[in-house]
Amino acid sequence: MKLRDEIILTISALKIGYKAGNGEKVVLQDLNATARKGELIAIIGKNGAGKSTLLRTITGLQASLGGEICYEGKNILNHSRLELARKVGYISTETVRASNMSVYDLVALGRFPYTDWTGRINNENNSFIMDAIMKTGMMPFCSRYIAELSDGERQRAMIARILAQDTGLMVMDEPTAFLDIGSKYEILHLMNNLAKTAGKTIIFSTHDLQMAISQADKIWLITGMELMEGAPEDLMIRGDFDHIFDSSNLRYNSDQGTFTFRSDEKGSIYIKGEGILRHWTEKAVMRAGFVVSEEKTDTFIIIPSGDSINWMLVSQGSIVECRSIYELVGKLTIEE
Amino acid sequence: MNFSSTGKLTETSLLEQIINIKKETLLSSLKQQKTIFVILIFLVALFFILDLFLGSVSLSAADVIRAFFSDKQGHLETIVYKFRLPKAITALTVGIGLSLSGLQMQTIFRNPMAGPDVLGITSGASLGVAFVILGFSVNMSADTIKGFGNWILVASSWAGAGVIMMIIVFIAIRIKDIMTILILGIMLSSGISAIVVIMQYFSSESLLKAYVIWTMGSLGNLTSDQLNVLVISVLTGIILSLASSKILNALLLGENYAGSIGLNVKFARIIIFTCTSILAGSVTAFCGPIGFIGIAVPHMARILFKTSDHKILIPGTILLGGSVMLVSDIISQLPGSEKVLPLNAVTALIGIPVVIWVILRNRKYSGVW
Repeated sequence: MKLRDEIILTISALKIGYKAGNGEKVVLQDLNATARKGELIAIIGKNGAGKSTLLRTITGLQASLGGEICYEGKNILNHSRLELARKVGYISTETVRASNMSVYDLVALGRFPYTDWTGRINNENNSFIMDAIMKTGMMPFCSRYIAELSDGERQRAMIARILAQDTGLMVMDEPTAFLDIGSKYEILHLMNNLAKTAGKTIIFSTHDLQMAISQADKIWLITGMELMEGAPEDLMIRGDFDHIFDSSNLRYNSDQGTFTFRSDEKGSIYIKGEGILRHWTEKAVMRAGFVVSEEKTDTFIIIPSGDSINWMLVSQGSIVECRSIYELVGKLTIEE
Repeated sequence: MNFSSTGKLTETSLLEQIINIKKETLLSSLKQQKTIFVILIFLVALFFILDLFLGSVSLSAADVIRAFFSDKQGHLETIVYKFRLPKAITALTVGIGLSLSGLQMQTIFRNPMAGPDVLGITSGASLGVAFVILGFSVNMSADTIKGFGNWILVASSWAGAGVIMMIIVFIAIRIKDIMTILILGIMLSSGISAIVVIMQYFSSESLLKAYVIWTMGSLGNLTSDQLNVLVISVLTGIILSLASSKILNALLLGENYAGSIGLNVKFARIIIFTCTSILAGSVTAFCGPIGFIGIAVPHMARILFKTSDHKILIPGTILLGGSVMLVSDIISQLPGSEKVLPLNAVTALIGIPVVIWVILRNRKYSGVW
């Protein structure tokens, strides 16, 4: 097994924000992080936490206010615009709207840093373009206009564009926002694939914590003015996710990987039974605002097993039979 | 079929096959585009010749040919050399200048409704011209105007166009909404018209008359010196545009993406705005504000060539712009009649249907252009 130890991006003591008149509006400061080859890195933080600013600064579209960004040990400031365009590709939340632009044309623009002043696409450029189109599964859409694509298809075309740009690092600002659930997972799968098989490092921001935790190799968590990095599991064990929320009513259950509203906890309940039915019953009970107890409680639930096909809700000696989880949760709420 | 045992080899050859298929389709569309180019070149030549023949005084083909090959300085030669030929060259140049400027503005503002007249660039140029005709010329002797006047006129027109361009850019960076920018452009135009009206109020009758005639738009009032200045300016604009086709293609993505693929956006903006101001400014300086060519012709090119690639759209727009303006000129002469229609009316009637078509199509694609 080959260990990934090639660090391609180092951020040290970075200060980001905007220059406003003579002063500065600092968004985040003292940021330290690294990215290795082939890693899928999710940036998580509240709206306005500075995710987009950070991504734009990494890409070189916005100047930093201090600190260093290094690509393979070389400071970003010592890169020309074209050199940088060969190292990092960028997808923002902005949609490209251009009439008569085919998917091929769009992807071909990824070769901008490699073509001469006329922008002529030679055979080498063409094979990069076609390879990118193949890898993103956009072959059937090659000659289609981008205005006619669905959101998911357009996002795939955008990914093909930065793939043709042949950069080691890909930066994506909320690549799965506004996508339906199917496209969302397709895009994520594609990103994962590019990281694992093509060795691309992908840094992307997202609001979908669940998805980030299950897919990302590393998470850059922005809370307040700080950036914490680590494997999702590391952050979870350290309880770092609790800091995402201002509200103390929200709690992250590190063992379940879910959120609950603290104020909604209505009491604890014991569930008797095993298997998949227990798993989903637990979920439903928790959604209804109860904590699943390890010890027996006054009110408890017996999961269907053997000859019994119904859920039993036992409360102070009386038993209520429920044919579905829906019915069970309904009864539970009335009981309470 | 390749039955290679290693999967990789098969994969590469599959990729090669696909690349070849793609190349063929690319070549076939290129072939189509070449045909359209040939037809357009033929049309430009045809309309240019027609523009020489057709006019208030009807000349036969033989007359025109005779005029070209004779050394006499007769009535016929005067009409062809002094009026028809300069006017046809002017029409060609004006059409190219306005259309190219419109194409560049539509790309850089990523706005299908952008054009020199819509965003107030033409008004800005008018203000520059008004300053020269109504203001400064009072302090200038007639000789100065004859000597440097043309360049002063055109330079002040460029300056006026450039200033308005910068104001629009300043707004466009802050406000992304297309409609808001257009409305602000209209407001700017109205504001400038107001300033010009005030200037007219304080100017002498003869200068006022000169200015009002200028605003009607005309291709036929250029002296040979003025025509030289116009042709040199538009040629510069054409060369700058052709050299910046790669930049314009990148700008289709918007400035953020263009920067991320390695374009120096500030430099690109300066190049394109200089080019647009030179093109729209020079045309407006000598021929007055001519509407709808700048906004409509680039769309005609997009419809014909079905591409967003400026390597094709720029030459296409040049040829189409030239033909459309020549046709407008022929129509405005009302061949065979003594009367002449105002040029602006003709270009409006040709351009407006195209603009309406674009608006209706955009509704269908919900804002995508």
